[in-house]
Amino acid sequence: MFKNEEMEINLGPQHPSTHGVLRVKLRLDGETITHCQPMIGYLHRGVEKICENQTFFQGQVWTDRMDYCSAVANNLGWAEANEKLFGITVPRRAQYIRTMLNEFNRLASHLIWLATHALDIGAMTVFLYAFREREDILDMNEAFCGSRLTTTAFRIGGLREDLPPGFEKMVKVFLAKFPSCLEEYENLLSENRIWKKRTVGVAKLSAEDAIALGVTGPVLRAAGVPYDIRKAFPYAAYAEMDFEVPTRTEADTYARYLVRMEEMRQSARIIQQCMDGMPEGPVMAKLPKILRSEVNEVYHATEAPKGELGYYLIGEKGGLNPYRFHVRAPGFINLQSLPKMAEGGLIADIVAAIGTLDIVLGEIDR
Amino acid sequence: MGMSINQPSTFEHFLITTKVEKVMNWSRATSVWPVTFGLACCAIEMMAAGASRFDFDRFGAGIFRATPRQADLMIIAGTVTYKMAPVIKTLYDQMPEPKWVIAMGSCATAGGPFDSYHTIQGVDKVIPVDVFIPGCPPRPESLIYGFMKLQDKIMTSSLADRYKDIFEEVG
Amino acid sequence: MAEPIDPQTPEASAAPEAPAGPYVYDYAASPQRQIVLPKTVPLPSLKTYLAEQKAAAAADEAKWVKMQADFESAKAKAEAEGKDAPKPPVRPVPRKDDNDLKTPVPQAAQDADLLTLVALLGDKVEEIFEQAGELVCQVKKEAIFEALKLCRDEAALNYEMLADESGTHYPAATDFAFSVVYHLTSISRRKRLRLRILVPEGFVPESACAIYPGANWMEREIYDMLGIRFANHPDMTRILCPEDWEGYPLRKDYPVVGWGQRDITFREDRGGMIERIALQKAGQLGINLKQPKAE
Repeated sequence: MFKNEEMEINLGPQHPSTHGVLRVKLRLDGETITHCQPMIGYLHRGVEKICENQTFFQGQVWTDRMDYCSAVANNLGWAEANEKLFGITVPRRAQYIRTMLNEFNRLASHLIWLATHALDIGAMTVFLYAFREREDILDMNEAFCGSRLTTTAFRIGGLREDLPPGFEKMVKVFLAKFPSCLEEYENLLSENRIWKKRTVGVAKLSAEDAIALGVTGPVLRAAGVPYDIRKAFPYAAYAEMDFEVPTRTEADTYARYLVRMEEMRQSARIIQQCMDGMPEGPVMAKLPKILRSEVNEVYHATEAPKGELGYYLIGEKGGLNPYRFHVRAPGFINLQSLPKMAEGGLIADIVAAIGTLDIVLGEIDR
Repeated sequence: MGMSINQPSTFEHFLITTKVEKVMNWSRATSVWPVTFGLACCAIEMMAAGASRFDFDRFGAGIFRATPRQADLMIIAGTVTYKMAPVIKTLYDQMPEPKWVIAMGSCATAGGPFDSYHTIQGVDKVIPVDVFIPGCPPRPESLIYGFMKLQDKIMTSSLADRYKDIFEEVG
Repeated sequence: MAEPIDPQTPEASAAPEAPAGPYVYDYAASPQRQIVLPKTVPLPSLKTYLAEQKAAAAADEAKWVKMQADFESAKAKAEAEGKDAPKPPVRPVPRKDDNDLKTPVPQAAQDADLLTLVALLGDKVEEIFEQAGELVCQVKKEAIFEALKLCRDEAALNYEMLADESGTHYPAATDFAFSVVYHLTSISRRKRLRLRILVPEGFVPESACAIYPGANWMEREIYDMLGIRFANHPDMTRILCPEDWEGYPLRKDYPVVGWGQRDITFREDRGGMIERIALQKAGQLGINLKQPKAE
């Protein structure tokens, strides 16, 4: 008389809990997920094809719009990849400023992650608090390059101009109050019984699964593998910075939350070191007016807040445009682990899983 | 009533007279409930507009409804792609009348910087739009200014506007 | 415009004549609507680089010999006529640019990993070299599965993670059409390696999903964008473009704006959904480009 039937429902592409337009096809047995298939492409804008028609300098504009939560991280990866392609050495002062801005945008991205992840799970106050801090960081973005969100902050060979006057004061004021803000978030969440019940043991991804799938970033570090590109293949000024790479072993949502909170602390530490040890000098290398490439290909990876962001560029002989402009987006690879995390769990846990992966559809779909 | 403004009549201490249309427009304009429809980077600025510094709730529009069936406004924040266009059309059809659409950002207005094979050049190729807000992304202040323009449009709209073409057909 | 204009030449700095009447942007002439097939094959390779260097050096040498011969003949002619001897030629020195560019060039492989790969795979390796500090190994297209398995399982190599897999279209090449590139990372040894295969049109390489499950979506994207199918792939369907999309966008003969699929108007007042296919077939496309062949 009673039959067990599986129900197939659709999560998205428009849903308050998806970070962008992500569609997930779910097959449910009651409340348990038996099969999960993410479907993407709803924000595919053809960035790789567009950038083949733009000169090397112009490609930066489209990189901001990929991982739009932290545009400067994309800009840094792009600038470094192009500098590797042409063999350009960037002056030291520019490296320090780049590192500082990159860490500010890592904070901005983690604040968005915290705000939306907490909002999905139900903690709405954290959303308003985190965005309050993010506004200060966006003010600094605006002071440096004029735009809050899509920054286009760097140039091939360094920076367009030096830091504006008054920037050091803004940084000092921000760093003075930021640790207390972090404590505020942790007071609200870390020992909260509801938060722990919703995140401990939820959406587990073991280290072997993570490495096999190519998952990088805080998801991998929360599974026990201390792989951070800033330490493994140092770039910009990270070789001279003293910071730790937070790692945990439980590999669940709560572990990833703790890893990202600690990463925010380490970012503040790096910014302080950048400000203290900032060298004097030029901020732009000497380049010809028109950059023509030789037959060359590079793959340059940096540690974006979501994971390993790689740029694969091919140049042709005497070419003004890149022959191939491919972006290895961390979200694209990380999202492949969603079925492993979600199957066998409850439908309420897939919301936590999507939040903890910290995906952004702009870079997944490019 | 024809009385002079400086000398209120006996009733105007506790009685406001107006037209039904004005009251309906005022109530619609000051409590527009948007549907959560952030697609790309503009969604982050929309969230920032709804967050602490640029509080969107003071315009009565702070409650973002998850389902279009309970919303009046769809803010298309981000790039509209070929794969997403039928979804947008379905959601727009699910919204009950009266409904308005704000196209936020260059991508929703005219395709933005993405002139490519998969990007629809402007969401007005999919649904009718009331307010276009340029910018890439527009600052939260721009979104609020555009929203206030929409409020002006609602306040000055007449009940007959939306159904004019049907009335004209009937004669 | 077929060739990009070099802004330093005098013809580019001369301003074009202002048109009479209102300015109308010529959409049909914009670069995104042109298809410019590349004429060169930018495949970095040590063999081609060395060959080019040798050819350039030989051409330089030939030019210098000719300059000297011309000088000798001119001197003889001047002496015969009783005039002064012309100035002796000076060997031209390559111009040194005053900038910070040091373009990386392919160099001979010295790293132990590349030599290990050659030792293990033998003649299945077509070429090894280093460029810009990166290790590159080009293998035969039938041997890619074996090479990836070796990279992951061999204790001396131990490349645990496949960071990225992507493809490129080379229409100007004669014996191949695409290159598929695998970027491997060794987390424990902090090393990166690039494996490359050259694939002709229609060839179906072996999928890497059995070794690195993360290659699933990467290979679906390569299929979606370039049309290269992979054998033994669990789900060989389009991932970014819709399922019924025609054409492979990242090929060089595909225009940036597409073949008119995106210019369909989806609007209809107070009705249901328009059938996209019906409108497309009715010929109401915004751009007058020829339709691609059905694939």
